[in-house]
Amino acid sequence: MDVSCWDGTLSLNEFSRAARTFAEKWKIGNSAFPPWLWVNVPKRPFVASQQVDGFLSLENICLIRPSKVCGAEVSHLEEEETGFSEKEVAIDDATLVLSNHHEMHYYDFHIVYSASYRVPVLYFRGYYSDGCPLQLNEIEKDLPACSAKVLLESKWTFITQEEHPYLNRPWYKLHPCGTSEWMKLLFLGEAALAEKRVAIELYLVSWFSVVGQVIGLRIPIEMMNDRTN
Amino acid sequence: MAKQDQSGGYILQFAPFQSFVDEGFWHRLSSLKLNKLGIDDSPIPVTGFYAPCSHSQVSNHFTLLSESLPSNESEQCSVPAIPRSNRNRCSVPGILYNTNTLEAYHALDKKSLLKEEAKKIWEDIHTGKAVEDSAVLSRFLLISFADLKKWSFQYWFAFPALVFDPPATVVGLKPASQWFTLEEADSVSAACNDWRNSNLTADIPFFLVCIASNSHATIRHLKDWETCQGYGQKVLFGFYDPCHFPNNPGWPLRNFLALICSRWNLKTVHFLCYRENRGFADLGLSLVGEAVITVPQGWRDLLRVPNAVGWELNKGRHISRVINLAKSMDPTMLAISAADLNLKLMRWRALPSLKLDKVSSTKCLLLGAGTLGCQVARMLMAWGVRKITLLDHGRVAMSNPVRQSLYTLDNCLNGGDFKAMAAVKSLKEIFPAMEAEGVVMAIPMPGHPVSSQEEESMLEDCRRLHELVDSHDAVFILTDTKESRWLPALLCANANKITITAALGFDSFLVMRHGPRPLNSTHDLKAEPENALSADMDSLAMADSGAERLGCYFCSDVVAPTDSTADRTLDQQCTVTRPGLAPIASSLAVELFVDILHHPNGIFADCEIADSSNSGSSEQPLGILPHQIRGSLHEFSQTTLVGHASNCTACCSTVVTEYRKRGKEFLLQAINHPSYLEDLTGLTEFIYNETDDNDDDDDFVKL
Repeated sequence: MDVSCWDGTLSLNEFSRAARTFAEKWKIGNSAFPPWLWVNVPKRPFVASQQVDGFLSLENICLIRPSKVCGAEVSHLEEEETGFSEKEVAIDDATLVLSNHHEMHYYDFHIVYSASYRVPVLYFRGYYSDGCPLQLNEIEKDLPACSAKVLLESKWTFITQEEHPYLNRPWYKLHPCGTSEWMKLLFLGEAALAEKRVAIELYLVSWFSVVGQVIGLRIPIEMMNDRTN
Repeated sequence: MAKQDQSGGYILQFAPFQSFVDEGFWHRLSSLKLNKLGIDDSPIPVTGFYAPCSHSQVSNHFTLLSESLPSNESEQCSVPAIPRSNRNRCSVPGILYNTNTLEAYHALDKKSLLKEEAKKIWEDIHTGKAVEDSAVLSRFLLISFADLKKWSFQYWFAFPALVFDPPATVVGLKPASQWFTLEEADSVSAACNDWRNSNLTADIPFFLVCIASNSHATIRHLKDWETCQGYGQKVLFGFYDPCHFPNNPGWPLRNFLALICSRWNLKTVHFLCYRENRGFADLGLSLVGEAVITVPQGWRDLLRVPNAVGWELNKGRHISRVINLAKSMDPTMLAISAADLNLKLMRWRALPSLKLDKVSSTKCLLLGAGTLGCQVARMLMAWGVRKITLLDHGRVAMSNPVRQSLYTLDNCLNGGDFKAMAAVKSLKEIFPAMEAEGVVMAIPMPGHPVSSQEEESMLEDCRRLHELVDSHDAVFILTDTKESRWLPALLCANANKITITAALGFDSFLVMRHGPRPLNSTHDLKAEPENALSADMDSLAMADSGAERLGCYFCSDVVAPTDSTADRTLDQQCTVTRPGLAPIASSLAVELFVDILHHPNGIFADCEIADSSNSGSSEQPLGILPHQIRGSLHEFSQTTLVGHASNCTACCSTVVTEYRKRGKEFLLQAINHPSYLEDLTGLTEFIYNETDDNDDDDDFVKL
């Protein structure tokens, strides 16, 4: 397909192919991280589509925060004292008492196809080490400094909270309404160097090179350069 | 700090499990409780998961997920089967005691619950089940209280560990890579990786490491213990260690030692704390040590269950954990954030200068809860306005629901609900965060005299309306008669509130904003200094814009050109209108209102007419701000007009001053004597005058 008449979107099938390519390149080029896994979604009974539906998942990415007990973190854990005597819940000499309280933030990332915008969407959520979810203001503190700027200035990337299309719980996502526009620009730029063809299987790789920056997941150059396979 | 026992040996200290409960677990529990269990609080079997440590600085957590709970068939979810291979989660049986009240939660006998679970482990050890299915060694207990109104969950884990008394000591704990020879290390790594990669063994967390004299290592099931004896083999007891500490083994080793000591009567045990990195055995992170156990009396006696410890500490303290998930589970909060998102998208994508906060905090009073009132309320809600008061004295009639968008058939039954109250209820059902109030009251009207017995209550109604106008920021006059608009218009002029009027004819409509209060109205004798200041500010604002004061509905009534279709005037009683008209007029009314809020001069803003040469007015983000919009469905046409203030019966300074000076008497006169207002304002004369001295808006008229 000629890039000049392309609208920046991709079909569900193309998304599946691009996801496979992306996951493979990631494994090779980004061994410091765990791999992206493809999760199949069971077909809903009323949907006639024959297509395989699914999304990419990268979970339990851990971010170690400097150990400081700030008010917000403590308050989400401590509540009423239950008044149990220490005897009831005693520990013994053989129990190691953990003294440092490094706060750990964990993140899950899902790349999900949006049928209405026809582009991939990055869903993510953060949580503390005990599972308590992180609020948006806390997540924003974890984002790299440059991305905060991008989020403020660009009208193409902003974080919203919406129900995850498959898990039925609120996740955060980078809103997709500008994606097709900047993907087209991106491919136009690249097409100038290579052929005029749109290498759709590389869609996710290019897409993530932009989106990943916002959430601080760098994509190594090697992943971008290999355009043959 | 390593502890020492009496003989100087170092006490073996185990790092406790650290619990992690995925949000999905609480969702599933809530769903189970609401849909299936109800008040049944019998214990629920649950499954926990853990895996070997895979990070040198972060321990792997003991995890509960939504899959940990039995599934609820009536739950509608399309949770995909996450294809994490079994190697990443060893499943462990456990039990959940979820209470129905906080008191019951506090009243749980934690000591005996722990003892009960410890007993199960002890029995599994003695019967040999723990050798077959070693995951039961890490059996756990969870107590919880789910507050499904506040969406907060109190919980506490216990990981029962049988206690050695005196405690076991440790000799020579070091990284596995330092304990094995190079050859042995390679062989052990390879064997472990095979064990971890096979579907048959990947989720078996306890195993034997047998090293032959030629350094070749094999990993065996616990039940193969007998066959590992002899032939000069070294045998280590290996287990998946979730913790990352370089000087301490993880919690699973506790019950493992209990098993080893009890079944195979060993007093010194070489153990391997198996840990990984990126999916492969990491012998630098893994530890090998030798535990020295003093077998306590009665250890072989099945009936004498040893003591157990294991309640999880909460940041070093003996208290319960709490998690609040209202933001992600409370439907009202979800609705609020979704509605907000919608408006924010509008601002981000289309109009960055939208003042959404200003709009949502404006308190709106809607006079009339009929076709116009219902639609205006809905449109305001769509713009994010939260505080709406609806005033109407009527009841919902059978003919109403089709045209009045907040009512259904139910509201018409049994004589009909009061409109104001039914509207409020409906608004809250649509969007729970609405702060809506209803007032059931009739608006006193001039030319509709009241008897002396009713005077008192009529004046009370006037007073109430006066207060309502004062306590809101914007007023929408949406009644269906001209007379009922008079008092509101006067009160709004008096209080200088943003006022929007909408009026319907059969196929034509008028939507307009009233101008600000009259300038030269003399102050009450009791006027506060603020009034003087605000009056000065007003005149400054007027002087600035260099404009005449814009008129109210009644001003227009006099000076606006008469409707060419003379028999289709507005505000006829029992108006029959084309159904499309009310939504159009209501929508325009709300958009006009939002425009005013965005104009820097607010209520003092001069009018802007469409297709005037003054196109600089399109600087305002929302476009021009007209004074009046008149439309006709007959031609599908719409025009913007202006009508300046006149000596009208509602908003001119004469009338406002009289109201302020004489209050009740003035009202009684206006309402009981049809011609009083016209006489007061000289309207009667004016109509017969040829001159149009429109500049003298605010003449004092001699009474």
